[in-house]
Amino acid sequence: MSELHREIKELIIEALGLEDISAQDIGDDQKLFGEGLGLDSVDALELGLAIQKKYGIKIDADAKDTRNHFSNVASLAAFVTAKQAA
Amino acid sequence: MPVINFNIAQWRAWAPGLESVDDWQAWSRQPVALPSCDAAPDVSFLPAMQRRRLSRLARMAFSVGWPLADGRPDLPLVFISRHGETPRTFDILSDLAADQPLSPTQFSLSVHNAVIGLWSIMRGETSEMTALAAAGDGLEHGMLEAAALLAEGAPAVLLVVTEEQPPEAYSAWIDDVPFPYAVGLLLTPGNNWQLSLNSTSDELSKAHWPHALNLLRTLLGQQTTCQHAWKNRVWTWQRNL
Repeated sequence: MSELHREIKELIIEALGLEDISAQDIGDDQKLFGEGLGLDSVDALELGLAIQKKYGIKIDADAKDTRNHFSNVASLAAFVTAKQAA
Repeated sequence: MPVINFNIAQWRAWAPGLESVDDWQAWSRQPVALPSCDAAPDVSFLPAMQRRRLSRLARMAFSVGWPLADGRPDLPLVFISRHGETPRTFDILSDLAADQPLSPTQFSLSVHNAVIGLWSIMRGETSEMTALAAAGDGLEHGMLEAAALLAEGAPAVLLVVTEEQPPEAYSAWIDDVPFPYAVGLLLTPGNNWQLSLNSTSDELSKAHWPHALNLLRTLLGQQTTCQHAWKNRVWTWQRNL
């Protein structure tokens, strides 16, 4: 698990109040929403906010590929890395 | 003089350290203010993913309401709170004041009917539900709502009245929540209790304890009546023996 992956998992757990889950329990490629981790639409907004705050990046909620960036931890890490480099 | 009749089939109550009937009986005999603390009721009967967002107010409402609703599908709910989710409101306002973006979770759960929405989702309950905030006699206005539902043919109505300890910043304005509490009443048609309304022009003395807890003391004790005044309204609860 890379440092960024672990950090994002911690952020998910903290921002969404997932008391009973630890970073090890979340797979890099595990789906976050629906089946998988079981997050819902309010979580999506909350996680979007947490990511923007922590990494100082802007997320366009209406952009078509935003949904893809949020599909799992690996895609989120790639998105954060790309945005920070930009 | 308007009068409504009903039975209180069962009740539940929670406050920090007061959970069982015995706890409440002891408190009723010698009521004391409870020290402020962060204790919240156990709602482990809910799946972890569902309970993670519940505030203490929601947990209090669920903890007194859930056992009363057990085995009763299609149970209408009247939820009453004068002040509601003051800790969430305060957090949101603090973020606003600091020019911070608002938490979508905090925002969506700060509205007054959030608790009944969660109740509906978690129980798959689609009966009538109402969230009331009616100043100092919300419990009685909730009883009127419940009596109307019973008169319409509901076999039972669940009433939950709850208050959260407000953040310190509100202490100059909120003086009727000595400690967080919730009371749940399972109401059924009947004549064991009657609630009547009279008006008065006199200034009546204010009760020392929140009215829902005074009612609980009446339920637990030998008294047959309990009175509550707010503005020019005097409500009399009468137990028919």
